Amino acid sequence: MLLILVIAFVGLIVRCFCLQYFKNDHYTEICLNQLSYQQWQPQRGPIFDTRLRLLAASNRVQNIFADSHLIGDIENIKEASIQLSSVMDVGAHIICSEILDSKNPRYTKLFEDAALEQCQAAQKIRGVAVQTDYRRTYPMGSLMAHIVGFTSKDNHGLEGIELKFDEELRGTDSKNVFFADVRRRPIRLKEQNGILNDGVGIILTVDATIQQFVREELTKQYKEFEAESAMAIVANPKTGEILAMVSVPDYDPNNPLGTDPNNLRNRLVTDQFEPGSMIKPIVTAIALEKGAIRKDETIYCENGDYFGKSFGRINEYKNHRFGNLKIREILIKSSNIGMAKMGQKMGQETLYEGLKKFGFGELTGIELPGEVEGLLRPLSMWSGYSVTRIPYGYEINVTSMQMLRAYCILANGGRLVRPYLVKAVIDNKGEIVQMKRPMPPVGYIIKPEVAKWLINDALVGVVNERNDGGTGWRAKLDKWQVFGKTGTANIAKVGQKGYEDNSNIASFVAGAPAKDPAIVVLVSIRRPNGKLGKGDSGGAVASPVAGRIIERTLTYMGLAPTEKPKQVVAKKK
Amino acid sequence: MFWHKKEPPVSLLYKNEQSRIIADSIAVIVVLLMAIGTVFVFSASMNIGQEINFQKFYDYPGLRQIMFFPLACLIMYLFSCIDFQRYSLDKGWLKNPVVYLLLISIILLILILIQRFFEIFPKDGFIPYRNKHYRWLQIPLGSFSISFQPSELAKWMTVFFIAALVDKFGDDIKLFWKRFVPICLMIGLVMGLIIVEDFGTAALISLIAFLMLIMAGVKLWHILSPIPLAGIAFYYAIVSSQTRINRITAFIHLDKWQDKLNYQPNQSLIAIGSGGLLGKGLGQGISKYGHLPEDHTDFIFSIIGEELGFAGNTAVILLFIAFVILGIFVIIRCKDPFGRLLAGGIILTIAMQAALNIGVVTVVLPTKGIPLPFVSAGGTSMLLTAAAVGVLINIAKYSQSAPKRQKQSSE
Repeated sequence: MLLILVIAFVGLIVRCFCLQYFKNDHYTEICLNQLSYQQWQPQRGPIFDTRLRLLAASNRVQNIFADSHLIGDIENIKEASIQLSSVMDVGAHIICSEILDSKNPRYTKLFEDAALEQCQAAQKIRGVAVQTDYRRTYPMGSLMAHIVGFTSKDNHGLEGIELKFDEELRGTDSKNVFFADVRRRPIRLKEQNGILNDGVGIILTVDATIQQFVREELTKQYKEFEAESAMAIVANPKTGEILAMVSVPDYDPNNPLGTDPNNLRNRLVTDQFEPGSMIKPIVTAIALEKGAIRKDETIYCENGDYFGKSFGRINEYKNHRFGNLKIREILIKSSNIGMAKMGQKMGQETLYEGLKKFGFGELTGIELPGEVEGLLRPLSMWSGYSVTRIPYGYEINVTSMQMLRAYCILANGGRLVRPYLVKAVIDNKGEIVQMKRPMPPVGYIIKPEVAKWLINDALVGVVNERNDGGTGWRAKLDKWQVFGKTGTANIAKVGQKGYEDNSNIASFVAGAPAKDPAIVVLVSIRRPNGKLGKGDSGGAVASPVAGRIIERTLTYMGLAPTEKPKQVVAKKK
Repeated sequence: MFWHKKEPPVSLLYKNEQSRIIADSIAVIVVLLMAIGTVFVFSASMNIGQEINFQKFYDYPGLRQIMFFPLACLIMYLFSCIDFQRYSLDKGWLKNPVVYLLLISIILLILILIQRFFEIFPKDGFIPYRNKHYRWLQIPLGSFSISFQPSELAKWMTVFFIAALVDKFGDDIKLFWKRFVPICLMIGLVMGLIIVEDFGTAALISLIAFLMLIMAGVKLWHILSPIPLAGIAFYYAIVSSQTRINRITAFIHLDKWQDKLNYQPNQSLIAIGSGGLLGKGLGQGISKYGHLPEDHTDFIFSIIGEELGFAGNTAVILLFIAFVILGIFVIIRCKDPFGRLLAGGIILTIAMQAALNIGVVTVVLPTKGIPLPFVSAGGTSMLLTAAAVGVLINIAKYSQSAPKRQKQSSE
């Protein structure tokens, strides 16, 4: 009989061997799943505007959660729910069913962002605990949506700066694996993965106030003209700082779910389009730079009907008929034929090289995700039409950002400008770790005289000479001399040849003061409703917006009026 | 039938070398087991953020066990010096301490039952309500109180009493009505008192009693006839309690209800299984931090498995096997029927408990609260078991190759 017991003991040894040798891996795995690890989340870095106004911040919030396993059986859960309902001001039956239906019996999140008293009260209940988490908030709401972007719930950047600088902002979390007791208190360290580092802060070049002006003006126009979308961007041409950047329709980054995905992207860098007349000054600059034309040259504009076997037929916008035009008049009146002839004069190689130098067909390097490089076809793919069409803005796709950069180069006296959005990186003590301003690029794209002449003579004329056919007269200001160029481009049909009727992109790119440009503004409104009878051209739709933006921005910046110092206040200064 | 009496009182000298080796080996094995137990109870009772207040050291199982370990050794030594013949009924009923102790334990059991049904004592007083059962007596002693389980005492006294009674009756045991039935009634009485509050211990006692009667040479049909009755009683005992049904259903479906009914066996398997061959290292286990309930008492074997792995578990089981084998030597070498039966009962009780406990912990058997002898925390059980082993050592010491007392042939 006792021998049977001995055999039983041997059997138990075998059983132990089975458990501990053959099933060891299985149980070790369960043991790890079940027993260990704690993770510390870093605080995501804040994002500021250039004046250190908060654009995005992660706030510490206390979440109340329940561990139904620790609470006990159903009766205990009921009791706990009743206690919790008074703490959280939620019906006990809701809490109870939430706990019971939870997929993970050991973790049911009951309440987010609880107040201190709620936390203290909740912690007294067995099986209920408080957990610290971070919640990303965007105090400016949709104002900065397309620049700042937003994050997922688990602290990953999904758009904008949040995505581009995700790694820096996120910081490093420490996934310290702990052995924990049944109440999740750590016992001792098992392994340490990484050191907890809060994310760094980022200071942008954007000024929330300017952004506010721009958004206000743009939205007004966007609504008035029932447009499909609209965008505007303001930059400092000397440094390349982006001061404001608005794309409407936008969304609320605090609650991005449910937004039309089309509105999530920053159209200024992700959308390419044929720029139309906006590109004319750039092409002219190339032609002048290369000596293909002279400033005082006259070009015969064929009375509005230019035809050739190799390049087809070219007409003017609104079927104007121009005769002999000077170079500046071509720009002021926005003659397509004049531009086509200019293209022919310089030849395709010069045109291609020049556009390349101005940065078309290449990324601008702005710190935003999803930037596209536009389309500047290589010379080998150019047709006979190309050299006549590209000079007035077709057969080339650009982004607004590229266009803005080109005008910044003009406004900067022909010097290369690299636009940028991130000014500095600061650590969590508020000290600047890294200035992000790109090295001032060296080199002239065009001669300063050419740039100066274009701005002060041709482009100022676009704004000033209303009676002489200047298309941008609506942007004219009293205090500062504005220069600019309109653009009204047809929209190519998708998947088909030709262009859509009655729909276009109305743009205006401008800067002020002309003598020493402080800002360059680009406004572009897509598909304004021409049937409203208010016009749908760049001059009619976009230029007034640009004018108002310039006025408000320069006033805000405290720039002394340079033109017609009528006002007493300005004189005193 | 008479014993050959009054040989010169057995001296403390060993009769021969072999007996001495066996006796010493048993002592060594038991001390080893108790040492392992003390270490692991101390390890398992670790807790986070616990500040030890030495004024109340008795409240900490780990420290209590450290105190009980030498005490148990002392008791074992003392009992090994007491001639085991004292427990026989040779000198009459009234001179036998077993009879008194059995009576005391029966009275205590009755007291506990009274408390259960009528609550005559204040709650948490003399008879506290612990783990949903009335199983304990609490004797306040100054700043701390000693807890004591009367059913443990009753268990051992039953074993001793059956051995003594059977020895007294001799061959008369074969008489059904005169001898066998009274013994059964006595066992039934003890069992009945225990079964109300502690089904496991009651079942264990009856099983041991049953096996002892077989060893004593009771006629087989005597034994077999009450078995259907016992079977029916056993069945009803299980069916009458929802807890027991649940436990058995849970055991059948081990993969279900892992966070409720099967939590404990599942955690036990995780603890043992994750230990691997060599374990996580002494004191490095995790299960003891609240994951495995009853870690320092019934489920101490899992903690050993987790921290010392297969090696530790095998060592413990091998010690028990060695204990049983040495016990078999003692029984073979002992020519005295009373000593033989008593030794058999003691070994059977200890080995049976060990096997059942390890079976429960490794989830070969459904969950039942049986402590692992010598190893699990628990003062009553440890001291009483140590006393029983002391008796066993005494039997081993005086078992000789040549019979000490010839049995005279009876008429």
